[in-house]
This record gives sequence, structure tokens and C-alpha cells, in this order.
Amino acid sequence: MSSLSVSTSPLPDEPFAADGVRVSRSAALQRYSLRARDPAKLAAVVGRELPGRIGGVTDGIAQLGPDEFLALLPVGTQLPSGEEEPVSVVDISSRAVGITVEGEGAAALIMSGCPLDLDRMAPGQATRTIYETVEMVLVRESETRFHIEVWRSFAPWLWQSLRLSAE
Amino acid sequence: MLLIHCPYCDEKRPEIEFAYGGEAHIARPLDPSALSDEEWETYLFIRSNARGRHHERWRHIHGCGRFFNAVRDTVTDKFETTYKAGEERR
Ligand SMILES: [Zn+2]
Repeated sequence: MSSLSVSTSPLPDEPFAADGVRVSRSAALQRYSLRARDPAKLAAVVGRELPGRIGGVTDGIAQLGPDEFLALLPVGTQLPSGEEEPVSVVDISSRAVGITVEGEGAAALIMSGCPLDLDRMAPGQATRTIYETVEMVLVRESETRFHIEVWRSFAPWLWQSLRLSAE
Repeated sequence: MLLIHCPYCDEKRPEIEFAYGGEAHIARPLDPSALSDEEWETYLFIRSNARGRHHERWRHIHGCGRFFNAVRDTVTDKFETTYKAGEERR
């Protein structure tokens, strides 16, 4: 199941670059949506530490909301499903694709369509937000490097918009 | 741009991340079949339509995903406060 659940990307193989910024397709990931009213129960089921704060990221697991986490893990990583526990662990690897935006101009390029003030987003933070009309999850990996998670049907549009903004 | 304080994220976020959810603190009747047509109509359609201070639901749909309540002035569009769902009316 793991090999089938990570499908090919709707994005071009070739990255593009412009004025201090480079945009490329991210490598494939194993993605899980994790939900639990009690995050301690979820942490016990998956056997991993959770961030403990909305916006935090711990070992590839981002906390998106009070009861919602997104795990971005190496392909092939399997998490226990937590049957009979009050948690939800769902493989959503094929739902989204990743886009890497890096360089001195990375934040400015994303802010061309995202209303967040990225000067106030520290490296190591993640949040769901929006780019014009397209929802995405934005992970700030470093000062000059962002990872975008976007639903695959929206991905070509977002790619094209980033390309037009960068030009 | 209007900034709205999300009580779950505990920060001010841009308005376009949010969706409006109608008037707040309207409890769904526990036994709808016991209601008269007038009572059911009141529950479904009749709202305070306040001029000024208004309690309303919002959802941080492109953020943490949670519903919460807000007090907003419908004349000035200023948010007085926001608070988590389930908390006392303010
Ligand atoms: Zn929020």
C-alpha cells in the first residue's frame, strides 16, 4: 500500500528560478492526518512526541489546530492506526504535493499571494493558510526556505501563480 | 486588511483566512418534533439582526479550522472580543 499511496506529481520536474528565489517540486513524502481531542493519547498511539502548541513542528509533525496534526515523514514510514483508541490516523500521502521555495526572496514571493506577515513567522513554524484562493500548509524550514503543502488539484495553479509572481 | 484574533491560535490573522458563521449562541432544540411550526421557524430563521454589538460565529477555516465566537460592532465593523466555542457569552 505504501508504494501505491505515493503517486506521481502533477508538477513539472524542472524547477524555476528568478531574482533571489528558486521554486522546485519537493521529494515525495509519507503524509498522515492525525486527529485527537487528547493529544497525549495520540502521542502514545504513534509513539512520537507532538509539538504541544499550534504552529509548532516536532520531528516532521506539525500542529495545525488544537486537535489536528499533519505528519510529513519519509516515504515508507508507517504509523500505527490506533484502532479502538479515540484518535484518527489517516494516510493522506496522495492528497497533497510539496513545493520548495528557497532563497533570499522566498518570503517575499510567498507574500505576493499569502496575507500572512512572514516577518513574524519564525523558522520551525508551520500553519495552514491561503495563497490568493488556494489553501496550503506553509512550513518555514529556515529563514530562506519554505515548504508548501498544497492539494494536488490546486498545485498546477499555485505553481503557475508563483512563477508569474516571480517574473 | 482586517485582522481577527483567533482564540485557538492566539494571534491576529488576516480576515480572508476566516469564514463567517452567522449569529452565535443559538442552541439547537433538543427535541425538534416537540416544537410548533412558529417555534421551529424562530429557531431556523429569526435572528436579532443587531445594529451595533453582535454575537456571531466565525471559523478559522484556512488556519486551525476551529469555530469560535466573536463580538463585533455591525456599524463600525470593529471586533470587541473573540472567545472559544462553548465559553460564556460576553
Ligand atoms: Zn485559529
